[in-house]
Amino acid sequence: MTVLEGQPQPIQRMSLTEGWRRAWRTGDWWRHLGLFGFLFFMFLPFIITIIISFKDIHQFDHYPFTVTFPLHPENYLEAWRIVSRYILNSIITSGTSVVGMVILAAVAAWAFARYPFPGRELFFFGVLALLMVPGELTLIPAFLLVKDLGLLNTRWVLIAPYIAGGQVFAIFILRQFFEALPGEMFEAARIDGASELQVFRHIGIPLSQSILGVVAIMHVLSTWNDVIWPLVTLRSNELMTLTIGLYAFRTQFYTIWGPLMAGYVIASIPLIILFAFTSRLFVEGLSSGAIKM
Amino acid sequence: MTTEEIRAPASHATMADVRVPQERQSTLGQRIYRYRFVYLMLVPTFALLLTFNYYPAFMGLYRAFFKWDIGLQPEFLGLGNFEKLFIKDDIFLKSLRHVSLLTSWRVISAVTFPFIVAELIFNLRSNVHKYTYRVLTILPAVVPGIVILLLWHFIYDGTHGLLNAFLEGVGLEDWQQPWLGSPKTALYAVTFMGFPWVGGVTVLIYLAGLQGISDEIIDSSLVDGCSGLRRIFAIDIPLILGQFKLIIVLAVIGGLQGWVAVFVMTAGGPGTASVVPGLWMYNNAFLWNKMGYASAIALFLFVLIMGMTILNVKFLKTGDY
Repeated sequence: MTVLEGQPQPIQRMSLTEGWRRAWRTGDWWRHLGLFGFLFFMFLPFIITIIISFKDIHQFDHYPFTVTFPLHPENYLEAWRIVSRYILNSIITSGTSVVGMVILAAVAAWAFARYPFPGRELFFFGVLALLMVPGELTLIPAFLLVKDLGLLNTRWVLIAPYIAGGQVFAIFILRQFFEALPGEMFEAARIDGASELQVFRHIGIPLSQSILGVVAIMHVLSTWNDVIWPLVTLRSNELMTLTIGLYAFRTQFYTIWGPLMAGYVIASIPLIILFAFTSRLFVEGLSSGAIKM
Repeated sequence: MTTEEIRAPASHATMADVRVPQERQSTLGQRIYRYRFVYLMLVPTFALLLTFNYYPAFMGLYRAFFKWDIGLQPEFLGLGNFEKLFIKDDIFLKSLRHVSLLTSWRVISAVTFPFIVAELIFNLRSNVHKYTYRVLTILPAVVPGIVILLLWHFIYDGTHGLLNAFLEGVGLEDWQQPWLGSPKTALYAVTFMGFPWVGGVTVLIYLAGLQGISDEIIDSSLVDGCSGLRRIFAIDIPLILGQFKLIIVLAVIGGLQGWVAVFVMTAGGPGTASVVPGLWMYNNAFLWNKMGYASAIALFLFVLIMGMTILNVKFLKTGDY
């Protein structure tokens, strides 16, 4: 222990014990205990899912919740054959709509934030008011609308409404952020001969990368998890997104628990990868007080 | 092409910014003309919003007063749909009772368990540990919602489920149930799903509030001998009432709208034992093509959500601390 001076871990422990003694009579150990308790039950379903995903039917019948050998990784191949198409569809849908949404929302929010054009507040209110409208109210007329437009059972039936609906919240967040950016910088760029578009592209956007990231991630999460809209507008198996694909997959594989659970695990991986690369953005964004009343 | 269009009027805007007094003198028409490129920037956004948000919203409000079955000419009913809803539709009235149970539990669980976790994390000494726990609590939120619902469907499964296996393990075989398949337990199973009810995002919102409390206040409270539970009730909770308000509003809205979970878990069944208004709307619209009647339910939900939100915001005032 004493030799490991250079390594961060023991130093962390040292300062922890010191602070412990100084300020608080009660130690941190019971907090850790409490948190472990909560986290254990939060993660238990996922751990059991992973355990079951490696079982064949007999293993599940005899020892459903403990690790059994031999493991059956072929469950994953079987699940992948079916789930991969749904994952691809979800990536296409969420990916296209998030790009479109972020571009449109950033341009609109920039317009609202930086130009005192006549009717600005009125138009902005027109966007904000939509935050109050729940999806239930628009579901039926929107369904009949896309039916009349002939969009049913195409990719656009998801992408277009996702872009439209996602903008509302994004514009609200982005406008606040853009307004807080120091105006002198843009003024200086203009004096140096930059066009409005250049100011936006080369100064505004780079300064706002993290908030754009937060807005984009929130949009990906909500579209990726949407159940009802794809359920009522998509019929063909080739176009199904992950949520409704899994729903259908369950009925197909009911009681064949191994591949079913493997499918659930595979379905969770894309977002976990996204999270792994953007977790700081994610956590900081959500806790930075961007959303507060 | 767009570059040219935007660049030309851009010089106007620059000059306008510099010479503000002249701006005031110009007429409304001139100002609109000056900012015409800004309106151009808003065209795609509003084109989409009008098509996919405004039109359906107003259509939904309007058609709630019609008998409107697919393929038939809409027929104006006035308040007929609502009369039927509140007087004749027993299942709808039942669904209201169900949704109040679901929403109440959602509010209760959202103001307790995530707050406890947030306090535990907040009071840790080590920032590294704080960050690790924050990431760990948010991690389950990244698993797709449908996977979590389907997992709970498995946990409640009558023959293979985790819950029944657990009951057998602790010697309570008598309590074993097909939790989602029995009319007595289906609604409660759906309500209390999600144990230990710690939403990662909720924890983060509380944590953000706690971190916003100034160190001076916490230090002076320590000097005055106020610590532990006393500090939580006397200082933390009053100071983050704003966060509580937000969480309660979100929980109420989520509870009233949250029929997707019911749809996936039980589809309202067995029979109508766990039906909720959103699901009843869905069934009327997409199973029985009664679009007008379903729109009336949607309008009712809209008014209810709106009313509850306003009530929450007004009633739960943030104190002047």
